[in-house]
Parts: sequence; structure tokens; C-alpha cells
Amino acid sequence: MPHKLGHFCYPLVYNGCMYIVEVKNLKKSYDGKKAVDGVSFSIKKGEIFGILGPNGAGKTTTLEMMETLRPIDDGTVKIDGIDVSRDPQAIKYLIGVQPQTPAFQDKTKLTEIIEMFAAAYGEKVDAMRFLRDVGLEDKANNFVEDLSGGQKQRLSITTALVHGPKVFFLDEPTTGLDPQARRNLWDLIEAVRNRGISVIMTTHYMDEAEVLCDRIAIMDAGRIIAIDTPKNLIKQLLKRGFKKKQQVEQANLEDVFIDLTGKGLRD
Amino acid sequence: MNIKKQLFTVLTFTKISTRRFFRDKVALFFSVGFPLIFLFVFGNLYGNNSSLSFRVALINQSSTAIATQLSEGLGQSKVIKIDGNIASLDQAKEKMIHSELDAAIIVPENFGEVEKGAKYPSGQLEVIYTQNNQQSASALTSLLSAQLGEVNKQFVSQVAPFSVMSTQLNENSLSNFDFAFAGLIGFSIMGIGIFGPVNVFPELKKMGILRRLSTTPLRVWQYFLSTMIGQAIAGSLSFVAMFFVAIQFFQLKIAGNWLDLIIFLLFGSIMILGIGLALGGWAKNERQVAPLANIITFPMMFLSGTFFPRFLMPDWLQNLSGLLPLTPVIDGVRLISTEAKGLLDILPQVGMVGAWTVIVYLIAFRVFRWE
Repeated sequence: MPHKLGHFCYPLVYNGCMYIVEVKNLKKSYDGKKAVDGVSFSIKKGEIFGILGPNGAGKTTTLEMMETLRPIDDGTVKIDGIDVSRDPQAIKYLIGVQPQTPAFQDKTKLTEIIEMFAAAYGEKVDAMRFLRDVGLEDKANNFVEDLSGGQKQRLSITTALVHGPKVFFLDEPTTGLDPQARRNLWDLIEAVRNRGISVIMTTHYMDEAEVLCDRIAIMDAGRIIAIDTPKNLIKQLLKRGFKKKQQVEQANLEDVFIDLTGKGLRD
Repeated sequence: MNIKKQLFTVLTFTKISTRRFFRDKVALFFSVGFPLIFLFVFGNLYGNNSSLSFRVALINQSSTAIATQLSEGLGQSKVIKIDGNIASLDQAKEKMIHSELDAAIIVPENFGEVEKGAKYPSGQLEVIYTQNNQQSASALTSLLSAQLGEVNKQFVSQVAPFSVMSTQLNENSLSNFDFAFAGLIGFSIMGIGIFGPVNVFPELKKMGILRRLSTTPLRVWQYFLSTMIGQAIAGSLSFVAMFFVAIQFFQLKIAGNWLDLIIFLLFGSIMILGIGLALGGWAKNERQVAPLANIITFPMMFLSGTFFPRFLMPDWLQNLSGLLPLTPVIDGVRLISTEAKGLLDILPQVGMVGAWTVIVYLIAFRVFRWE
């Protein structure tokens, strides 16, 4: 990767180095309204980190500042030791971005989309390999407009990884997908993590966060109000004396749905 | 990223967007078919300038043999086209008011009769016209006089000591079409260069495609350059089609050097494309860009010499319209193609195009937004 060297990593010697992403006191306001109001967190290498929160909590703005899409008002974001506002061009080689609603120019073949994104990083890749990663090799010569919502999400994921990023951002990746496509996407995200890539995602689905995320941050009104592993967060809640009103069922409606329709991916 | 990799990026983007252009039949029609339609329309307007003709009504009130002979003779003329549906003067008047007729020729009742005491028949034709048609009426009158002169010879032998003979030289002269063609080329450059990016960029922004690209190391200049090469390919295709049709069907003559013409067209197109890149790159959506694009293209469409020659304008307007970016492009193409000027002879035009290129691209890079 052509970003600046000289940032040597000895996790045991220098503890700060365990974190691939470090966000410190990040702030952003629009017309005097504080959208992000002093957010700090760190993300470890190979971790899936979830950001939860109601609409307008500042999740997307936080992500966009980390992705170089929005100027940072105050605070710092460092990815692999590089300051995002100082050297956004170097950051772009380190990150892969999956937008909320993936869109591609029409009348373009899937292989061409992959070639194009690789070329944006100055690289030439084997497009079929990246399509195979997300099970789209059969669609290689189709135009992007022939894809279903779930297939577009998968194509979008693989285009975000063509240059071998160290950090992968996903903004509400499973919104609007059927349960089969959702589960398939979870598998894909875990496979990305297993390659040592750190994943940062936002979601509105608590089950998704519980299954997928190693740690989560809960945001509200531009601030992080809780940050921990899902298990610890639940434990803390129970410690505070919380009791669910009804008996926990052994299965839920989604289990019924998956049992009846199977886990096989539909297109 | 080294320069070789950066150009690889540009070429890959160009390759894929060009393939995409050829798959898009609508875009193909608008950049190649549309200018051709204009070419045919204007070609037919300017093309047959040599065959001047009049549409007239012939109202024959006489029943003499000479009157009949004359009407038949007029009916065969290529210059005088008789509207056979008109029987009365009132009908003819109605049509003249609507400019559907140039004039009415009346053959009076006594036309061709031998008056008392005369040895030969006589009569007077009447040409009736409205004030809008004075020119065609006087041309028609002299045409008819000449024709009647031939008839007169049958009755009175005359010797005319002085006469005029006109000889037409048609060798190597430029037709109105040759002049109009430069304007049509200018119109086509504007269509592809400005409306291309103006239509495409806001659409890509709306879908978030440019925003997604902005998270990659892709630079604005790389994106512009790939668009430029892609549009150049589309533009060349359109030019080749236009030149082919113009030469094949409208006898276009290029007086100057083809290489000079191609180089100048290329630079002119790049400059005009810059206007499109600035507009499309700046606009967040189609609604924002449409009025601005019209404000910029309309003056050029009417004042830069695309459809109306600039020499017909008042001096102040000529000076003003000379400053528009499209004007030097059209003037330059016209000077090369009709007056056989070389690039060095048209330095004012080349200089203007160069100056506009710098201005337009400075603006385009400054106002570009990815979303």
C-alpha cells in the first residue's frame, strides 16, 4: 500500500498500536446544530464494530467524517496512524466504503464495475475472483440493473474490497433485504473480518448487532452513551434490575420463517 | 500513485464509459442522429439556393388561344409554380395574406383579342402582390416581360441593338450550405459538449455514484479527462457522420486543410466540453442546472453564428457576440472550410479558444462537487 511507512507496530510494546482506528473528540455541526458532539472510540484490528442509534443520532455523519466524505469540524480520526483530515488521499487506500444504497451506472457489466473500481486505485484485478467471493460469478456478464437488492449489496461489498483495505465501512447494509439475503450478508461480513479487516457498521437491527458485532457503541443526540460488547451491555442492564415482562420464547417468528423457507439465498 | 497508474485509471474509465455509450441507444441517437436531422433540415433550406422559384395563382379570365397557350407555357415553367386549386382572386388574396403565395397572375378577359383597327392581338397581364412580396413580384414581372417579349416577336419583328447576356460560373464557388455547415458543426459541438455532462453528472450524483467514487483515490482531473476522451470519441462519430452526409448529399466543399480543421475542431470541442463539465460538475441536481444551462447556451445558439450569420447583426451586437465562447469556434471552422485559411491565419480565433479554455477549466475544477 502506498501510504506513508514509518508507523511501526509493536502491539506488546506500544499499546495504542492495537487499534487500527482511533477517533478522538470528533465534532460536527450544521447551522449551529450539533450533529456529532464529541465522539471518541477505538477499533481493534479484525473487529466488527457496530454503531447503533435512532435516526438523527449522528451515526452516518460520524462515518462520513471517517470516510473523508465530510470535513471534520473538531477532533481527530486516525486510521492506521494516518490523520484523516491531514492526508485524506492516503486514507482512501486504507478504507473500503459501502454506501447506504449502493448504486452503479447502468448498462455496465459486473466485471466492468469491478475493473473500474480497481482502476480507481490504479490497480488491475481478476474481476471474476471478486465476483466469486460474493457468489455473483454467474452474473458476471449481466448489466448491473438486472441485479436484485441483495445482489447489489453483495456487488457493492466486493467493489469496496478490490484494493485490499484495512478498514471496511458499512452503512445500514441489510436495510430492505429479505431474511435470507440478510443472513447471507452476515456471513459475508464475517468472512471479511476473518481476513483481518476491521469492520465498522451501522444498523437499526438489534438482532444483527447481537449476532455480528464484537463491540457496539450506542449513539444518541450526537454522543456515545454506551460502548461495550453486546453481552456486557446486556449484563449491565440486568444488573440494574431490568426484567423482561413476558417469558422469553424458545423461538421467534424469524426462526419460523427461516425454518419454513430455508436458509438458501433467493435472488 | 505514479503517472502511469494514474493514466491507467483514466483509460479504464474511458474504455468502460465508451462501451456504455454505445450500449445506450438514446444517447447514441442524440449525439449522432439528432445533428443529422438538423443537417438535413438546414441542408434543404440552404441547399437549393440556385433554383429560385415562385408560388403563384394563375387566374385566366380569357378564352383566346393565346391566353391558353400562355397558361400552358407558365404551367411547365420550373421557376413559376402554379397553385392549381385557386380559381378566384379572393382565394388568391387570402393565401397571399398568409404568405402561402408569392403573387397572383391575372390574365384579363380581353387578353389576346384583336382590337379594332389592330393587325395583331394584344393584352396586358397583371401581377398582384402584397407589400411583403415586392421583391418576388418585381422578379416575377421581369420574368413575365421576357416571356411576353418572345411572344411579341411572333407578331412584330424587332431588332434589339443592345442586350444583356448572363453566364453562370458554378466552378468552385461556395454555396450557402457551405457557410451554414460551420454553424451546424458548432451547434453539434454545443449539443454534445454541454448537454452531455449536464444531463449525465447530476443523474450520477443523485444516485450517489460520484459520491461512492469520491471515497476512492480517483482525482477530479482523472474523471474529467476520461469524460473528455469519451466525449471526443462520441463527438468524432457525430462529426464523421455529419461530414459524410454533408459531402455526399449537399455537395459540401472544404476549401482549407483537413488536418487544420480537425485540430481546430478538437480544441474547440474540448473548450466547449469544459462549459458542460463546469455546469454538470457544479449542479447538485437536474433542476438546478437546467435554467443555467439554458441561459448559457441560448445566446450562443442565436448569436454565435450557428443559424443566423453574425454579419447581419448591428455592430454593437456583433462585438458583443464575438466574445461568446462558441463564436471563435464557428468563425474558425468557417474560415478554414470556406476561405482556406490555415491555423496560423486564424490566430485571433485560436487565441480566443485558448483563453476560454483556461477560464472554463479553472471554473470547472473549482466548482466541481462529488455529490
